[in-house]
Amino acid sequence: MKRTKYILIASTNKKLKDDLINSYVKLKNECSNLEENIQVVKAEYLPGAEDSIIVKILPGNIIYKNISPKNIHEIINKTILKGEIISKLLYKEKTKQYRIVLRNCGLIDPENIEDYIKRDGYKALENVIKKYTPDKVIEELKKSGLKGRGGAGFPTWMKWNFSKTQNSSEKYIICNADEGDPGAYMDRSVLEGDPHSVIEGMCIAGFTSGAQFGYIYVRAEYELAIKRLKTAIQAARKKGHLGKKIMNSDFNFDIEIRLGAGAFVCGEETALIASIEGNRGMPRPRPPYPSIKGLWGKPTIINNVETLANIPVIFLKGGQWFSKIGTKNSAGTKVFALTGKVKYSGLIEVPMGTTLKEIVFDIGGGIPQNKKIKAVQTGGPSGGMIPEKYLNTPVDYQTLQQLGSIMGSGGMIVMDETDCMIDVAKFYLGFSIDESCGKCAPCRIGGNQLFHILDNISKGKGKQEDIDKINKIGTAMQKASLCGLGQSTPNPVLSSLRYFQNEYTEHISKKRCSSMKCKDLMQYVINSDNCIGCGLCAKNCPVNAISGEKRQVHMIDQEICTKCGQCYDICKFNAVECK
Amino acid sequence: MKNKDDIIIKIGLGSCGIAAGADEIYHTFIKEFKRRNLKGIIKKVGCIGNCFAEPLVEVSIKDMPDIMYGKVDKKSVYKIIDEHILNHHILDDHIYDFKFPNSLEEK
Repeated sequence: MKRTKYILIASTNKKLKDDLINSYVKLKNECSNLEENIQVVKAEYLPGAEDSIIVKILPGNIIYKNISPKNIHEIINKTILKGEIISKLLYKEKTKQYRIVLRNCGLIDPENIEDYIKRDGYKALENVIKKYTPDKVIEELKKSGLKGRGGAGFPTWMKWNFSKTQNSSEKYIICNADEGDPGAYMDRSVLEGDPHSVIEGMCIAGFTSGAQFGYIYVRAEYELAIKRLKTAIQAARKKGHLGKKIMNSDFNFDIEIRLGAGAFVCGEETALIASIEGNRGMPRPRPPYPSIKGLWGKPTIINNVETLANIPVIFLKGGQWFSKIGTKNSAGTKVFALTGKVKYSGLIEVPMGTTLKEIVFDIGGGIPQNKKIKAVQTGGPSGGMIPEKYLNTPVDYQTLQQLGSIMGSGGMIVMDETDCMIDVAKFYLGFSIDESCGKCAPCRIGGNQLFHILDNISKGKGKQEDIDKINKIGTAMQKASLCGLGQSTPNPVLSSLRYFQNEYTEHISKKRCSSMKCKDLMQYVINSDNCIGCGLCAKNCPVNAISGEKRQVHMIDQEICTKCGQCYDICKFNAVECK
Repeated sequence: MKNKDDIIIKIGLGSCGIAAGADEIYHTFIKEFKRRNLKGIIKKVGCIGNCFAEPLVEVSIKDMPDIMYGKVDKKSVYKIIDEHILNHHILDDHIYDFKFPNSLEEK
């Protein structure tokens, strides 16, 4: 007999495990007595399954929450048999996500242009070419309130307008896909999942400013993204969406891919331009801004991948529509790569103004193993730490800046109580000083000095005056560095100092790291009450630091111990303690 | 199943999916479809977003609700074909049901 309905049941809450099994069994029993052929399925995750048992009935998409075995009979009787909806159990799916940039990611085949066209692809370009003048494009863009998604949040319409008003026969469009933040992969995912949206965005930019050529500057490491981009560009040329006389108009535009060798500083627009020109990727002072004097001295619009992917939607649905999403000052959505200590890591897109708490707990599912959240890091090495007490802050450009962090391109790393803030700050600082081009002294020397101070603190050699020194050097770097890289290098250090000064003082005065991350400040010792003298730890110690007679309490020689933690992991009697 | 688009299988093949082994899943589907002479569309798609549950496979079959499977391994590919596609029997313990509203399917 043909199957007509499916009932899905799930809960990720371990406390409800017994109820879940009972409900599942009861559902199965009740369904087997029916004439209809219904399958009961145990799902791994359904929306809302964190708090209660969820039942979802397909087709019809009826979702019930707070289910216990005693509700089952009612569900079968009313909903399955009579088609009635039980309103007191009904769960309204309230996902915090809304997808504009990722509208096609995961839905279309990125290597097939027809898939993109089926979902209104290149319709915006057609609209713009047939119905818009460049001035009207700027007007619409202004209405939308779109700001650059690369991090700084400069209004996109202004950038485009500067370039448009320049009198030059040659102009360029550049798509900045040099994504280098550790833990961030938004641009890569857009290029891999929906490359045509970026191409379409660039075409519209070209039409507006009068540019006939564009470059996509993408990291050479992004092999798959490059491959899919190449396929997409070729397909677009074949279809007449790129090349000469696009859509039978006078508009000519073509795109070329340029590969970056993976220098972080090349994400900075002036350094990126230098790199495309074939020079060493080093920034130059602005002004003049690239919109006025950019690639080969010509007016150039540089936009981030995410910004460009927003453009087609704005010209499909209108600037007014776009401006209504998000907050007053920051319109639209933002894509984040949510990683670190969250249950559901992944690529998310939320309207601006969503709070960090909603992102971490509602979308990310909270911290695994019921640990406490300590901070959220946004903006990668240029950003900062936001402590738990500010989690209710709505995310937009201004609020994050006020907290000493930045929106950045969208990396979001969640840290729990086992993360040491000095260790984290040291990691980001180490990344930035590695990537410093060395042209200006504040960044080159200041960064290294800061790193040494942090290194000393994490080794227990910190002094009280170090905190003042960090502030002094950090502020000097922010003010005197030539480009954004140097100006933002001290951000992770300064923001961690601002919110977690107690951790710094603990490291300095007590020589202690309560998160047990700084190896030089901790010790493994054997608790004589628990040790039975099995000798397992001594056997597994790679440096023979543990000694003791059989069935006697063992000892760790602190002079030899390298703090690898193997004894701690292997002991079956919890006799090795970490202090 | 008569028409090719009666069976549509979407596999998340962004870098994140590939790192989790989605490439093998993709090829296993293609091989099995060929071997069993099944008609259908096996589609590569980009990152679906729920990277924690990669590899992700969405199965859309005529007259059946769309189902998103997560943490799919080679074994479950055979199961998906045998049970879900051929028998209209949804697999237990593999569904990760995440759907997001997007601007093209207006809320």
